[in-house]
Amino acid sequence: MEDIKKAIIEYAESSKKSKFYFKDMEKAVQNKIPGAKSRDIKKAATELVNEGTLIYFSTGSTTMYGLKGRGITEDK
Amino acid sequence: MAFEPKQPQKKLKYEELRIYTDEELRNYTEEELKNFKVKHSIPDVEELEKGPWPSFVADAKREALHRKKLADDRVMIPKDVVEDLLGQLQLSFDDGETHWKHGGIVGVFGYGGGVIGRYSDVPEKFPSIAHFHTLRVNQVASKFYKTDFLRALCDLWEYRGSGLFNMHGSTGDIILLGTTTEQLEPIFYEMTHELDQDLGGSGSNLRTPSCCVGKARCEFACIDTQDLCYELTMHYQDELHRPAFPYKFKFKFDGCPNGCVASIARADMSVIGTWRDDIRIDQEAVQAYINGEILPNGGAHRGRDWGKFDIQKEVIDLCPTRCMWMEDGKLKINNRECNRCMHCINVMPRALRPGEDTGASILFGAKAPILEGAQMSVLTIPFMKLEPPYDNLKELIDKVWDWWMEEGKNRERLGELIQRHGLWRFLEVIGVPAMPQMVKMPRANPYIYWKEEDVPGGWDRDINDYRARHKR
Repeated sequence: MEDIKKAIIEYAESSKKSKFYFKDMEKAVQNKIPGAKSRDIKKAATELVNEGTLIYFSTGSTTMYGLKGRGITEDK
Repeated sequence: MAFEPKQPQKKLKYEELRIYTDEELRNYTEEELKNFKVKHSIPDVEELEKGPWPSFVADAKREALHRKKLADDRVMIPKDVVEDLLGQLQLSFDDGETHWKHGGIVGVFGYGGGVIGRYSDVPEKFPSIAHFHTLRVNQVASKFYKTDFLRALCDLWEYRGSGLFNMHGSTGDIILLGTTTEQLEPIFYEMTHELDQDLGGSGSNLRTPSCCVGKARCEFACIDTQDLCYELTMHYQDELHRPAFPYKFKFKFDGCPNGCVASIARADMSVIGTWRDDIRIDQEAVQAYINGEILPNGGAHRGRDWGKFDIQKEVIDLCPTRCMWMEDGKLKINNRECNRCMHCINVMPRALRPGEDTGASILFGAKAPILEGAQMSVLTIPFMKLEPPYDNLKELIDKVWDWWMEEGKNRERLGELIQRHGLWRFLEVIGVPAMPQMVKMPRANPYIYWKEEDVPGGWDRDINDYRARHKR
């Protein structure tokens, strides 16, 4: 789980866009950790959200993830 | 079946939960309302009050006056929020375009859905609605509420929000319209801890499941839609609150093919109650309808004289599969040909009833027309027995989700994925053999997808001109 969390943070820090879809994050993690399961990646992302490292970004119809402090993070 | 809650249920008492006194709740007279003018000039908005129908403008004005007369410390967001809302609506009418921006980092701790950020793009003109976030409240199955709950929710929303509701949104949730970011956590805390009430789904989540009135009040219900809706809502809490899907996913449960929640048109997975034995016929009641002793359609059309009930013209000739006829004064049905249109049962409910071996048909892929146009669900599983704890249905759902999460593109609905890969591939994934009825598409698109060249004058717009009036 810690490996997956690390891979998520690495992706969140290095991705071109400050907000990204779950699926893109999932692919990046699976590139790093072949065989990482989708459900485990979701669990790790949820933990990161609960820890305050990741944030959700929602338009109402679609949800994306982002790293807290990167891109638009203030409530605007 | 009696309701069996999965966790202890609170008994809510409005007297213990209320925020406002009766005097505060009834703090204006009809005379004052008549003379009340909102602070912005809203002539076009006020046009909507004319005519015979109830108007949200009239309701909003009541709320605006009510808030104006409350003491300053009795509301947590600006008192003139409703007036600014109406003012911005007038501006949108003047400009012919919306002034709402949506989306952002608003939510409640740990939840990826249930709160939708809304912001005005003209906050200097309407400061009280600079933030005007929406909350979705997970409705109870079939929307049976106690007034204690509703009154307590109204008080909470009056105090911490705009006081404006949608009862209900098209998802089924109660929609709380408009509050500020600081109020989101307090509302969520009070709603969950005091009212025992959860938020609904939004974003790339399982959306709040919804069902028809089901066995609670309807004799046609072939499945216990309320129990099924509750069971799946509780079972899939993680999917409802923590987004990891490519896009939205909706379950809806209709108790019979009348489809009162229109699951076939709206849900990625539509569950529609049906039967696999024969329609039950009471021949004496058939005769009573023919003789005019029982009114057809439960008397729904009695306001006008339509002449004597004619079973041939009004029932048998209208059967889409021509599977009914009269023989020796008795009504006969070739049940193998029945396609569950429900017309005969609706016309003569005392004489005809659904069979007793009941379950549901499962259909997949309905959606609104963002990509590829609107689609109705495709009948995939003609019959499935549905009994608690519904493990067979959960197993099917898990298979579908695994495939969609693996193969679906970002923002691709299940129906679009099925179209892109082909129905055959979907059937392979869920392990169901193909049938001719699946391949045929006897469905019509109720929406028109206009292209620019189809519209006289097109819709070219200057983005710089647009941005001069709408901040990013």
